[in-house]
Amino acid sequence: MKRATSYILPVALVALGVLFPLFFGPYPQTVARTIFKYMALALTWDMLFRSGQVSFGIAGFFGLGTYAAALLALKAGFSYPLAILAGALISGIFAYILGFLVLRLRGTYFSITTLALAEIFRVILRNWTSFSGGPEGIVLPQIIFNGDSRCLYWIGLAVLLVVVVVSQYFEKSKLHFSLISIRDNEVSAQTSGVNIFRTLLVVFTVTSFLQGLIGAVDVVSVGYAMPDSAFDSNYTLLPLAMALLGGQHSTWGPIIGSVLLGVASEYLKLKIPYGHLLVYGVIIILVILFMPEGLIGLFRKKKGAKRG
Amino acid sequence: MAHSKKAIPWIIAGAVGVIGIFLWKPTVLVYGVQRAGLYASIALPMSLTSGILHIVNLAHGELLMVSAYITYTLALLLGLDPLLALIPTMLVMAIVGFILYELTIRKALKGPELNQLILTFGIGIALSQIITLIYTNQTRKLHLDYVSASMTIGETSFGIWDFTFVALSILMTIGIRMFLSRTKLGKAAVAVGQNPKGASIVGIDVQKTYAMVFTISVVLVGIAGSFFLTRQSLFPSVGSPFTMKSFSLIAMAGVGSISGVLYCSLALGIAEAIINGIPHMSGWSDIVFFLIIIITIAVRAKKTRKI
Repeated sequence: MKRATSYILPVALVALGVLFPLFFGPYPQTVARTIFKYMALALTWDMLFRSGQVSFGIAGFFGLGTYAAALLALKAGFSYPLAILAGALISGIFAYILGFLVLRLRGTYFSITTLALAEIFRVILRNWTSFSGGPEGIVLPQIIFNGDSRCLYWIGLAVLLVVVVVSQYFEKSKLHFSLISIRDNEVSAQTSGVNIFRTLLVVFTVTSFLQGLIGAVDVVSVGYAMPDSAFDSNYTLLPLAMALLGGQHSTWGPIIGSVLLGVASEYLKLKIPYGHLLVYGVIIILVILFMPEGLIGLFRKKKGAKRG
Repeated sequence: MAHSKKAIPWIIAGAVGVIGIFLWKPTVLVYGVQRAGLYASIALPMSLTSGILHIVNLAHGELLMVSAYITYTLALLLGLDPLLALIPTMLVMAIVGFILYELTIRKALKGPELNQLILTFGIGIALSQIITLIYTNQTRKLHLDYVSASMTIGETSFGIWDFTFVALSILMTIGIRMFLSRTKLGKAAVAVGQNPKGASIVGIDVQKTYAMVFTISVVLVGIAGSFFLTRQSLFPSVGSPFTMKSFSLIAMAGVGSISGVLYCSLALGIAEAIINGIPHMSGWSDIVFFLIIIITIAVRAKKTRKI
């Protein structure tokens, strides 16, 4: 019985998400699309964070997918669906190869190295002008679906759903326990037969694939890519703040966090054109200091207190 | 002795390299040393915090930027030269550092390492956004006559103002070393850095030491910020690359090594200047740091595997 009821809320939310464009115009659709993008990124960040690794390289793999898809569509004449898939794959392959280097590192060193990787991608694409169009970037001849805002919304939602499903799979499968054990104590994880490196490599590759996918879909939806916009550090900052606010180590946490912060930032962006991202910085500080479990954690605590 | 024997081939290689560069383009050497001075004077304060508090302060570059903006404002309001405005800036930065420590870092020091990292990341964003709120994204610059002073030797001429960064970094190195070896607080700080529990058992106030060391390092980066203003244009994100660069230098030098930071910035400053010296390659010079950081971290991680 419990199983059946636990499906009601997600199904209702998905139905609501799918039907949303029938009731709202292009502007709410665009806002929702942006929120979906950050929500998906927040989830991918959290998926790796469940193993205790903090990546600051979200923007790097997002931008890699962006550029790979745009260049393949423009220079190799790939159709958009194919370019999206290839962009995601290239991002995943890069992560797999780089994983052999960076996943040997832990803690601060891992985090900073992922940040450095994102910077390296950006510097290369900005300076390799003949290949990537340099600082001005590249413009695609047309936007996917000819820019129909409903279709753009639906494709954004589809990507988000893919990410949610993968995140749920990670949470429900055997992998979940491996990740938690790595986070809690690597030595005991290893002695219990968890192959730490291989587990992390799988997660790192899959999350980077998804980040590349999000980036690739984004580029065909906006029609251009520039090094400073594709590797914008906001793609690292916003998802991180969203996941932390909502509650780390879960699927629901990043979803709740990104809805709250996404709507709030859309409002603030109109009110305060310069400096509205202050909210994100302050939220990160406050959550780390006073609410390390996020909103989900508060909720759980209350529930626990009631039961106890 | 074995240590110094090992260093001999490196010294020879370095000397050969320097002579080679000197014959190729003497200005590259000059600009390399000047860059090294800038990088070292920014990285040294970070080395102090990471050596004693054992945290990586990802807001480090933003503190540099904030202090440059404070100096800029003071210079404009009071009509002071930025180097005179340096003194009130130090005072303001001391207050900023102390408040930051008391309100945020103190609490996070007890938590896991990654929380400290995320926290200081958040602080960095908050600082740069506060500056954006006040000053917007517009680029700001002070026009000072003395920074364009130049010198000509033989046929090559170059700017000499940037040598102040070299002097600053050397003074900072000496100052930090004197502080750690001669003063009571500095000695306490070394003890706390090595073993906080042991230090508290012998009667050192660990919290006070942490607060003081953090404040001192913020003041030092504030000094670097005032000098930074004399040369560079300001915008809210001007500081963020220096966080990464400082961290690279510290990772390369080894956490807590003060003079190591000086040598490593010399190597990287010259490496950057070489790339900048090659025509049409100047955009690539940023990559030097990032590649070197990845290589050093990977090599070090392999040598000292903790698990």
